[in-house]
Amino acid sequence: MKQLINRTPLSPASWSILFLLMFSASWVSAEPSPINGAEVFNNNCARCHNARSLDEFSLQEWAVIMPHMREKAHLTGKETDAVMAFITLVKKGETKSASAKEGAHVLNGEALFNKYSCQGCHSVNGKGGTVGPALDTTIADKGKTFFLQKLKNPQFNNPASPMPKMPLSDEEIEALADYLSTF
Amino acid sequence: MPVKYLAAITVAASSLSAANASEIDSARFVLSGYGDVKYETSELQDSSAYSARFVPIFLFSLSDKIHVEAETEISLNAEGETEVELEYADLHYFLTDTTTLTAGKFLVPFGQFGPNIHPSWINRSPWTPGIYGSHGSSQAMEALLPILSDVGVAIQQTFVIGNYQKIFVDLYSTNGPGIEADEHEEDLAEEATEEDGHAELPELAFEAGSGDNNKNKAFGGRVAYAMLPGIEVGTSYYSATYDDDETLDITAQGFDINLIGSHYLVRGEYIETQTDGLEEEEGENEIHTFKRDGWYLQGTLQTGKIWSSLAGTDLVLEYAETNKLAEASRWMVGVNYWLDARAVIKIAYDDTDVEEGEDDQRLAIQLSYGF
Ligand code: HEC
Ligand code: HEC
Repeated sequence: MKQLINRTPLSPASWSILFLLMFSASWVSAEPSPINGAEVFNNNCARCHNARSLDEFSLQEWAVIMPHMREKAHLTGKETDAVMAFITLVKKGETKSASAKEGAHVLNGEALFNKYSCQGCHSVNGKGGTVGPALDTTIADKGKTFFLQKLKNPQFNNPASPMPKMPLSDEEIEALADYLSTF
Repeated sequence: MPVKYLAAITVAASSLSAANASEIDSARFVLSGYGDVKYETSELQDSSAYSARFVPIFLFSLSDKIHVEAETEISLNAEGETEVELEYADLHYFLTDTTTLTAGKFLVPFGQFGPNIHPSWINRSPWTPGIYGSHGSSQAMEALLPILSDVGVAIQQTFVIGNYQKIFVDLYSTNGPGIEADEHEEDLAEEATEEDGHAELPELAFEAGSGDNNKNKAFGGRVAYAMLPGIEVGTSYYSATYDDDETLDITAQGFDINLIGSHYLVRGEYIETQTDGLEEEEGENEIHTFKRDGWYLQGTLQTGKIWSSLAGTDLVLEYAETNKLAEASRWMVGVNYWLDARAVIKIAYDDTDVEEGEDDQRLAIQLSYGF
């Protein structure tokens, strides 16, 4: 081992390995896992100002505001698109759940948690964003009624909350509560 | 700027948005901005006054690659006249995923306050940090670099390192400052001489215009490192020749920090400037370089995030000082109450101690809203 470490000038063989590593590294990062828009939001949108509520602007307005913030926040184009996709999910769902009142689909709390990118802003089991508090013990600490109320109207207990109002039905909120009670 | 420009912009804007109202899918125009109302008392001015501003921002998305933004500030001055200022009006061209070109009148990326923090619904204090000047109202502390926006071109590059780290690079070239025009002083650069062994700084005019008094362009940039979401540190550089003959320079270096914690914010900047002035020695003009520096540090404790009974409140503390030639220091303490994420009431008190000159104590109550 010692000898290996002491061979300071890199041999051609180790150079090529290094190059291969670098190449593969850049290759890997060239095809990253799809960027999570809520996570980009979490990491960037409260750095200069309070995170703004998604409810403030329509989807069309967000599409004009995001390039403005892309330049301010030094976001990449892909990150900007990912945030737009996240905003679209939250906004579009709004109209969808308002029109379609069918309750036929299976309610899966974990799937909903992922779908609405709660983990972009919150952590459970130590994983996730930090814009909002960890949710592992929220229901245990504050009760289920609080949770239901919070999801129906995130600003009810905190007018400055940037948490978006998600287009969730009562049943879906129940499912989320059940899922978050498992931690 | 005459009001007619604003009218022109507004008309252009509204006709653009009207033209698009039918093609609902993708809007092109958004009107956003901010406004504020402030009540301020100042010992030095021996006055108390209300002031109000309305700052509309016009955003146009012309295509996926082209974005146009313009911000005008409409305010009432002390004489009751309406003043309209073009804060910025520029075009961004998104050249690649990570490169953006900017042309027009834009917020100069020096430090963090000017480009990122100055709108009153973002700034945690009702005042500008002393080292950047008062931007509108008056202050006892002499600014180091009273620069906000200028006309020119800029390029921005973002380097992504893994999931949480980034390097931001901004480079620009603009018209730069000129010499402050003054009725009774023919040439201020020459006026800036040693008087009774006391150096006097030349006064520079940083107001941007579509013209320049010389061929030399201001040049500068900022390189920053961000560890998302909590840390951003940057260094800035600015250099310009300001006189008609292109012999006198001003250069500035800056260091800035922005920390975002779960219950607190820390913002601070340090600036160092070197300004050339002419010094008369035995009948000959010699160039003398005046060095100054200063800094501020602002801490915000988001008390509302710690105690739910105080939801919406912040406690803000700021200290600023300028050294050499115009020594002064300033303490500020404030309490903010957020009505929602972008509307705030700020109450603050500050105490400025000027080494050679008059001190000031100010109290302000400001209501600010972003829209
Ligand atoms: C580097 C600082 C910075 C970051 C990071 C940032 N913003 Fe902003 N934001 C600003 C400033 C400054 C303004 C005020 C507009 C102005 O004066 O040009 C603003 C304004 C806004 C507005 C009001 C509408 C408008 O465009 O003026 C919204 C909404 C907004 N930001 C959302 C976001 C979102 C979403 C993100 C995350 C992608 C974000 N911001 C990240 C600095 C920032
Ligand atoms: C854009 C970021 C964002 C997203 C996405 C988001 N939240 Fe939040 N949430 C916040 C923030 C910030 C807070 C803390 C401020 C407050 O009290 O509202 C919060 C608070 C909460 C609270 C209250 C926690 C407490 O201890 O008071 C609950 C519960 C919650 N969120 C659940 C969720 C769920 C479930 C989802 C997904 C359906 C979600 N959030 C998505 C930002 C977000």
